[in-house]
Amino acid sequence: MTPKEYKYTQEHEWICPESKNKGKVGLTDYAQSQLGDVVFLDLPAPGTQVEQGKKMGEVESVKAVSDIFAPVSGQVLEINQTAIDEPGLVNQDPYGAGWLVRLEFSKPSELGVLMDSEEYDKFVAELSEEGSE
Amino acid sequence: MIELLKKTPLNKVHHELRARMADFAGWQLPLWYTSILEEHRAVRSGAGIFDVSDMGRVWITGGKAGAFLDRLLAKRAGRLEVGSSQLCLLCLEDGGILDDLWAYRVGTDRYLIVWNAGDIEQKLGWLQRWAGSDPDIVIQDKTADTVMVAVQGPAVCQLQNLKGVSHLPRFGHTRTRIGDVEVLAARTGYTGEDGFEIIADAANGLHLWESFMKQGVKPCGLGARDSLRLEAGMLLYGQDMDKSTNPFEAGLGWLLEMDNGEFIGKNALLEIKRQGVKRKHVGFQMTGQGIARSGYKIVECGQEVGKVTSGGYAPTLDVNIGFGYVPIELATIGTDIEIMIRNKPVAAEIVNRQFYKRGAQNDPQRI
Repeated sequence: MTPKEYKYTQEHEWICPESKNKGKVGLTDYAQSQLGDVVFLDLPAPGTQVEQGKKMGEVESVKAVSDIFAPVSGQVLEINQTAIDEPGLVNQDPYGAGWLVRLEFSKPSELGVLMDSEEYDKFVAELSEEGSE
Repeated sequence: MIELLKKTPLNKVHHELRARMADFAGWQLPLWYTSILEEHRAVRSGAGIFDVSDMGRVWITGGKAGAFLDRLLAKRAGRLEVGSSQLCLLCLEDGGILDDLWAYRVGTDRYLIVWNAGDIEQKLGWLQRWAGSDPDIVIQDKTADTVMVAVQGPAVCQLQNLKGVSHLPRFGHTRTRIGDVEVLAARTGYTGEDGFEIIADAANGLHLWESFMKQGVKPCGLGARDSLRLEAGMLLYGQDMDKSTNPFEAGLGWLLEMDNGEFIGKNALLEIKRQGVKRKHVGFQMTGQGIARSGYKIVECGQEVGKVTSGGYAPTLDVNIGFGYVPIELATIGTDIEIMIRNKPVAAEIVNRQFYKRGAQNDPQRI
C-alpha cells in the first residue's frame, strides 16, 4: 500500500524523489484516513522557501484543521491546483493525484533522516495499536 | 488517564461498523462510519440513522406536571395536545439559556423532555429545585434505560419500518411497534429534513438499529449531525448559545411566549427586550478562501467585533458557512465582515441564517 520508492515523515507526509534534488510531497493514506473528508488545502505559493520539519501549509477536513510540515528544506516549484480545486483527491488517491507540492531540495542529504516504507508501515501499526487501547 | 466515557446501548454496533469514535459531552459516540460527506448526503437525498442516545430523556409526570413545565419553559408545554411536541427554551432567572429541549406531551399528565447531553446534573438539579417535594410532580431521568435513534431524510416514509407512522404530522408522536419492538416514534429531528426520532428500551436498541440498516438506511455519525444542523440553520447549545446568551440575541425570540403566563426568566427577558440587544447571532458565508471554525474572531475594519460560534463546510451548498455573534449595527444581511483564520482576515458576508431549506432550489453560488 505505501509506495516503496517514497520516503515518510512522522507527521505523515510522503516525499517522492523524482531526481537528485526534486520531488513531490503529499499526505499518507493513514493521514487522510485520520483526517476524514478533506475539503480545503492551504498550500505555500510557488517560490516559497520551506524548512524541514516546519509548517508549510494546512489541510482542513470537514471536522478538523491540520498543519502540513515540509519533509525536507527547499523551494516550492509547483502546487497541485487540481487538488486545491478538488481536495477530495487527497482522500481518494493520497499517493498519486492527491499530491500537494513539488519541491526543489536545498539539502538533499535531509532525505536520509526520513523513514522508508517499511519503517513507516511499522510506525503506523504501532500508532494504531496505541489508538485501539 | 482514566476515561469514564459513557457508552450508549449501541456502542458495540458502532465498533463493529468500525466507526471513528469521539468523545462528545462525556459520551463515546461515532464521529463517522465511512465519511462525513457521504453520510451528510445520504440524509439530504435518502435516509440516515443516528444514535442520539446521548440526548437526555426525562419523563415528567403527575397532576401538576403541565403547570410545572409551564413555569420552567419559555413556551407553554401544558397547552400541547397529547401526541404533539414543541421546541422549548429552559431559561435562568436572568434570561440566560440553560438549555434548548424538545417537550412531548405523551399523556394527560405525562410529558417527556429530550435535552442536550451536557450539564445533566445541573439541569436535573434545576428541575428538582423548582419541583420541591411536591408529590404531584415526578421527575424520572430514563436516559440510561432507553435508546434513542434519529432516522432522517426525504426517503424515511418509504421505509417498511416507518410506513405505519407516515401519517404522523410534523412534531406528532405515538406509541407503536417497529417490527416486534415497542417504541415511541416522533416526527422530529434536527437535520433540516423529514424524519423521525425513536425511543425504545435499551435492550432493544441493537435490534432496532439493525432492522433499519437492513432496509438500507445509512449509519451516520456526529460529524454529519453537526454539518446537517449547521447547514439547516439550527443552533447548537454550548456553542451558539449558553447561559451567557439570552434568547433575543440568539435569534430565538420566536420560542418565547412573552404575552402568556409566567415562566422563570420572563421578567428579565421583558427588561432585555425593552432595552434592546447589543449583539445578534447571525449566519455568514465565506466569500474568501477558508473555513471558519468555532472560536475564530470576527473582525470589521480591523477591529474584533465578535466570535464565530459554529462553522464549517456546507456539503449540499458547496460553500463555507458559519454562525457568530456580531454587534447589532452589523447584523444585517449583506454586511461584509472578515473572519480571522490563522492570523489572516478572510472575507465573509452576513446571509440568512437558514442556509439550506428543504425543497427550495439551493443555488450554490447564492443563498
